[in-house]
Amino acid sequence: MSNILEDNHLKAKYVIIGNSAAGLSCAEGIRSGDKKAKIMILTNEKFDNYSKPLISYFLAGKIDLKNIFFKDHDFYKKHSLTLLKDFNVKKINFRNKEILSWDDKKVIYEKLCIAAGGVPIIPQVELAFLSEKEEPGNNSNDSHIKHGRSGIKSRIISEIDIKNIDGIFTFTTMDDSLKIKKYVTANKIKESVILGGGLIGLKSAESLLSLGIRINIIEMSGRLLPSSFDKTASEIYEKAFRDKKSSVSVNKTIKRVYIKNNKVVAVETGDGKVIYTDMLVIAAGVKPNIDFIDEETEERKNLVFLRGIKTDKYMRTEVRDVFAAGDIVENKNVLKNSIENIAIWPLAVRQGMAAGQNMAGFFKEYSGGFPMNSVEIFDIPGVAIGITNPDNFDKKHLEIITDYNRDLNVYKKIVIFENKIIGVLLIGNIERAGIFSGLITNKVNVGKIKDLLLKDDFGVIQLPAEYKKHLVTGDAVAL
Amino acid sequence: MQGRLGKVKKIFIREEFCIACRLCEIYCQVEHSKSKKILKAFKEEKDLISRVLVEEVGFNSFAIQCRHCSEALCVEACISGAMIKNKNTGIVICDENKCVGCWMCIMACPYGVIKRNISEKKVASKCDLCGDEEYPVCVKNCPNEALQLRDI
Repeated sequence: MSNILEDNHLKAKYVIIGNSAAGLSCAEGIRSGDKKAKIMILTNEKFDNYSKPLISYFLAGKIDLKNIFFKDHDFYKKHSLTLLKDFNVKKINFRNKEILSWDDKKVIYEKLCIAAGGVPIIPQVELAFLSEKEEPGNNSNDSHIKHGRSGIKSRIISEIDIKNIDGIFTFTTMDDSLKIKKYVTANKIKESVILGGGLIGLKSAESLLSLGIRINIIEMSGRLLPSSFDKTASEIYEKAFRDKKSSVSVNKTIKRVYIKNNKVVAVETGDGKVIYTDMLVIAAGVKPNIDFIDEETEERKNLVFLRGIKTDKYMRTEVRDVFAAGDIVENKNVLKNSIENIAIWPLAVRQGMAAGQNMAGFFKEYSGGFPMNSVEIFDIPGVAIGITNPDNFDKKHLEIITDYNRDLNVYKKIVIFENKIIGVLLIGNIERAGIFSGLITNKVNVGKIKDLLLKDDFGVIQLPAEYKKHLVTGDAVAL
Repeated sequence: MQGRLGKVKKIFIREEFCIACRLCEIYCQVEHSKSKKILKAFKEEKDLISRVLVEEVGFNSFAIQCRHCSEALCVEACISGAMIKNKNTGIVICDENKCVGCWMCIMACPYGVIKRNISEKKVASKCDLCGDEEYPVCVKNCPNEALQLRDI
């Protein structure tokens, strides 16, 4: 192989860590400017590529392995990309431009894009290992765990526990989805606890329900999807879960997980309630995957702002020749004028493209973004765009208009600040939701059309003349 | 760009000529029905979806369909790889076999011209510029040239 040097190291002009939305978009971006130079993509997984958000559809049996790929099988060949699978990054030596794997492989780059995505957050839950005779929670005095008086072994959960103990899962990768599928089939699982009512929690819940498994969602905050839903939106879905003989408990945590014969048997909530279960999905959110950036180094201090890798408008990091894109990134939230991690697919693609083009020598700007997401659970579609819970905005200039039709399960909420829309929540009816995304992005003054926004026939025709004109002129196509 | 007629064209929306007759919607529904026959489609097929939308307020109206954007936000937002912009023709198409109905495209499209089709498998439904036809049927059947296909 031509890419192997004499000293058995791999070398490429462009190296991308990450094989998902941002990573592959980055590769396309590089190729748009540099058709020749070697591009190497490193992934710690064993798949060509697959869409992470689709793992819940796979678990539910709605799509098969053939359709979970979001880039064609000839994508790598077409763009001359070298994909290195099972490459688990241990550390990056930025000074020598080397990437080291846990099994002592070494890759040398000229320009690097870190698009390593996110990893699940593992909350500080206690594992209590029961003997054959012991039962979960039957000792009302908590101290037996701490002091081991009754001989029950316990420790705080770790990633290795999730790998080794039967019935505990995270749900962010294809591997997770395959493991869960195998476990629920082999053990004929009838009930599962899900820790976390965010997007991953809800999607795993829906998939498990479709497999005939009842679920209990335990959510720490006061509502489902706390970052984008409000109480009304949450209650629409909470009710849908209850209708499926499942439960949602808000303002609750899990403090302890009981293990017997290396298998989950029950969880205990913060208020001492024991729920018997064969299965626990930990869906407490994700965080940027920056563990391989050595904490002791100066580069780490330069790269990381709050919890992800800070990038400028060219997706450059503070370290020379190192770019970043996707769920690992901290960049501008244009609605808050703050630097933060916004882990959503469209921005990952956009950032990857910008990073790639800049790596190839163009100056392609990424101008920031804002959160938005779409879910459909139990046939109830929901879209949340921008700031839907405007707690930190000056109330004097803030208007919130809502419409809730209980019979139809349709809820609409529009958040307006200084006559511009900054947030939209649509549940049950998401027709033409994108018009609102456009109004937010383009900071269109909606002062004169406020009373039309919630109407069912609201459309492009009611938009302010200048903006409308801009919309109806479109691009050319070849026929 | 190269397409089936070998020309670069654009659908122009001419608000001043639209009379909101909605014939474009009718022909679009028939074109994208199973039978492609007007009577059969409207009498026997359910959930016909028009991919061109007539908007109307008072005497003002126009028909709008996918603008096939050069930087298409629906393509960027698509998590399944179903929404693709053809690099040769510029046409944005949703591969309904790949689409999972997550509605990210509906959330992203600033024109609001992608629709939720839930009649069978959930898929996003949008203008394909009538791939089987010589001209898009909405343009061909507009009695007043309120939709025009012009060379550019």
